[in-house]
Amino acid sequence: MSSRGTRREYNIVVLGAGGVGKSCLTAQFVQNVWIESYDPTIEDSYRKVIEVDGRSCVLEILDTAGTEQFTAMREIYMKTGQGFLLVYSITSLSTLHELTDLRDQILRIKETDHVPIVIVGNKSDLEEDRAVSRNRAIHLSQSWGRVPFYETSARKRQNVDEVFMDLCRQIMRNEAVLDETRSERSEKKPLGKKKGFCLIL
Amino acid sequence: MALTMLAPSRTSTSSSSSNVNPYPQVTRQNTFSSSDGTRSARTSKRYSVTALYMSMHAHDKDIEIEDDLARVQKTLRDLKAKISSQSKKNFVLEKDVRYLDSRIALLIQNRMALEEQNEVASHLEDSVEILEGTFPSDQKTQQYGNLFFLLQSEPRHIAALCRLVTMAEIDALLQTVMFTIYGNQYESREEHLLLTMFQSVLSAQFDTTPEYSSLLRANTPVSRMMTTYTRRGPGQSYLKTVLADQINSLIEHKDLNLEINPLKVYEQMIKQIEEDTGTLPSNMPRGISAEEAAENPQVQAIIEPRLTMLMKIANSFLTTIIDNLNETPYGIRWICKQIRSLTKRKYPDAKEQVICTLIGGFFFLRFLNPAIVTPRSYMLVDGMPSEHPRRTLTLIAKMLQNLANKPSYAKEPYMASLAPFVHHNKARINKFLMDLCEVGDFYESLEMDQYVALSKKDLELSITLNEIYTTHQLLEKHAKELNKAQDVSHLNVLLAELGPAPAQVPRKENRVITLPLYSRWESAIDDLTAALDITQEDVCYMEAKSTFVQLLRTLPATSPAVRKPLNLTKIADTAAKMRDMGMFRKGMRALELLEQLRDLGVATDQDGYLLLREEVEQELVHLGSLKDKVVEETKKLDEVYKTIRDHNTYLVGQLETYKSYLHNVRSQSEGKQRKQQKQTVLGPYKFTHQQLEKEGVIQKSNVPDNRRANIFFNITSPMPGTFVISLHYKGRNRGLLELDLKLDDLLEMQQNGQDELDLEYVQFNVPKVLTLLNKRFARKKW
Ligand SMILES: Nc1nc2c(ncn2[C@@H]2O[C@H](COP(=O)(O)OP(=O)(O)OP(=O)(O)O)[C@@H](O)[C@H]2O)c(=O)[nH]1
Ligand SMILES: [Mg+2]
Repeated sequence: MSSRGTRREYNIVVLGAGGVGKSCLTAQFVQNVWIESYDPTIEDSYRKVIEVDGRSCVLEILDTAGTEQFTAMREIYMKTGQGFLLVYSITSLSTLHELTDLRDQILRIKETDHVPIVIVGNKSDLEEDRAVSRNRAIHLSQSWGRVPFYETSARKRQNVDEVFMDLCRQIMRNEAVLDETRSERSEKKPLGKKKGFCLIL
Repeated sequence: MALTMLAPSRTSTSSSSSNVNPYPQVTRQNTFSSSDGTRSARTSKRYSVTALYMSMHAHDKDIEIEDDLARVQKTLRDLKAKISSQSKKNFVLEKDVRYLDSRIALLIQNRMALEEQNEVASHLEDSVEILEGTFPSDQKTQQYGNLFFLLQSEPRHIAALCRLVTMAEIDALLQTVMFTIYGNQYESREEHLLLTMFQSVLSAQFDTTPEYSSLLRANTPVSRMMTTYTRRGPGQSYLKTVLADQINSLIEHKDLNLEINPLKVYEQMIKQIEEDTGTLPSNMPRGISAEEAAENPQVQAIIEPRLTMLMKIANSFLTTIIDNLNETPYGIRWICKQIRSLTKRKYPDAKEQVICTLIGGFFFLRFLNPAIVTPRSYMLVDGMPSEHPRRTLTLIAKMLQNLANKPSYAKEPYMASLAPFVHHNKARINKFLMDLCEVGDFYESLEMDQYVALSKKDLELSITLNEIYTTHQLLEKHAKELNKAQDVSHLNVLLAELGPAPAQVPRKENRVITLPLYSRWESAIDDLTAALDITQEDVCYMEAKSTFVQLLRTLPATSPAVRKPLNLTKIADTAAKMRDMGMFRKGMRALELLEQLRDLGVATDQDGYLLLREEVEQELVHLGSLKDKVVEETKKLDEVYKTIRDHNTYLVGQLETYKSYLHNVRSQSEGKQRKQQKQTVLGPYKFTHQQLEKEGVIQKSNVPDNRRANIFFNITSPMPGTFVISLHYKGRNRGLLELDLKLDDLLEMQQNGQDELDLEYVQFNVPKVLTLLNKRFARKKW
């Protein structure tokens, strides 16, 4: 039991347009269930312990709202998240377009270009309805500096574990670097300087 | 406008609803729905004609009615116009702020090249009030006047366009559509045309979506359109009515923790124990699973009362929402109604549950719940709620959403503990969602409005050059698809005449144009009888009625003619003997009409025109209660206007902050090249504790009440972007505390949602400080 204390915890945030399958993907990964019905998410959180390259780690997964009216909530997620699954649906090109804004916002809030991200093209089982070619997504991934890209099917449970594992590895790799910058930043002077107070009211 | 309110006296008693809704529910009798296509009894036609006459004569220049009702109606009209134009300004400002939000963040991180800085600066510089202007040629004015008349009166064109544009184009189009073409938010004709446009967009959406589970779900131009609509005046005031009090009383309790996720509760619990005792008992390991956490008896004991509390709060939200059914804006209810009827039509076997889910998908998911989870973006609260209340609000929204959908607890098992809430309220919510749909159609009154519009001959639109050009560009770009969809011959003629769409003009050169609308294809209607297919008797009767009502409203209250019981002949005589030309003419006309009615055999003076007299009397009673309603509505809209203006102040303040920040960055980088210019020190300015407290700058104070009068602050700006705040105690030379502040730091705090600036003795509110600094230390020199 004591080994638990040493487990690393990672915050993963699942982002993407409404209805692309963020919740289904997450539910498949965490609970091995397929959810047919469509309940739009406002905010759901999950935890799963996984083994990555021999190390056990705890993933805190936040499944977010794709509905655009909730975008004001994103900022907070992006602050706490350490890795991001950016999900679109291969059946809708506009859902791929929405990822660009998401990434911009993440980089802005994180103040760095090295944020662990995986691009996920979900609903790959719906080949007959495909509206986004693999090439198109690969192109996007390259323009972002070779961000890993997978096509998945939450329905068929294809590539589901892979995307989470990949993200997890990226976070681990990034950790050392991040720790450094973080300690650097905390050395930065706190806001303003207070000086000379000499009286107690 | 008053059209439907002035509706027939006989039916009005049954249909007079007491809500603010300017479109009272029309009784069945008075409506024919487009779906079954049957016209109701001929009487209904006659009532509409009354309404028509009433509304037309309200524009009568002959006599100007100046009774109390006319006065309050005028106040209301002015207020509505102000709200419409102010919400448009806010929409534009919001776009600017959104743009700058992202730019500024880059600036803060020093990630913006100099050219881009200049671009942002020019963007800011130009965002001044747009000047009035005209087209260089009359021909262009006419052509565009005709184009926009067509777009306004035949909503199908815009509807088609809304479906074709990309997400990148939609904002510009919506600005023009919602705030200009149909910008008069309280004018029934424009509102109804806009809703007609929605209907065709929605029905196309239903036709192209394969299964209902994904209906209205994606973020599309259509969903953006619906949200933009909900954020106009009526939607805003509704949210304020049903949510503001509830949310504000909740966020006052900053420390009220209602977390019910066992994992989170467990973590908070052990963290607390660790803090209190310095160690963690061995039976409380970190990182346990959700199931383990849920089974922990201590966790259960913490959660138990929270569940009760949450259900109580959610219940009170729900009750307020349901109780305010009648406050729900007509347009929003009408959209719900369309969703219901489209679902029934497309999926005949859809169960009520499915329909409720879809309506809930609009009403809760896109309208109410976003305002609940992020109330600040909807101007419902002043500051960002702190962590615990924010989580509570999210849970409430989730509970409401679960009610509207079929909840599945597969995802988050702990939500199942709230199942009793869903269980108890399921029937209630379904009934509510169905009740939302119970509003009358407006087709008949729209038909009427269109005639009135045509006969008015003075339709115009206040629109900017760039709005005109954007619309033109979009029509041009999507011309091919537009042509495929439907008959657009008129549109094509106009576009061909106009030639290629001009490019956008720079902001500085943008102008507001007053565009007279007209149509070369429809001449103004002079003969309404023919146009409306009604008989001579009807017209005569209605005109007589409206003429007498006008006379009675204009005659001095002391005149014996207005005494009851009314004597119609005496009223007409009295007026006809007056010196006022308008009254004289009206009086003569009234006498003439009475004679015609006698000749037509519709009325007789034997019984003193009994039927007509009764109807006139009823109308007057109706107008009396109308006045109260108008006053009440004015009061509510005053509130709305205030909210919208507050929001405007907030947006303008935000832009100002960005301006000074940018100025700061640029003058610093310029300073590196040129010699530092001599900087003038601004201040110190003195502020008392009381003053800052009143303005909300001080959000928390540790200074004992009896000492507050002795505390004051000095703020100096030694150079742009830098401030020194010092805190003083009366009679002492040295300050108690001094703080150097850089504008950058404040902005960064604001970006991070950090609202508190700690000054040891007091806590400042960051956005309020920014506003204060901007106001006091505005350095002109742009
Ligand atoms: N064929 C197929 N359908 C899928 C797949 N993933 C999700 N769906 C379906 O798509 C719909 C939406 O899935 P969700 O996971 O709820 O979508 P979401 O991204 O969480 O949506 P929001 O919570 O509104 O942002 C559901 O009806 C799913 O059954 C997939 O891989 N293949
Ligand atoms: Mg979801």
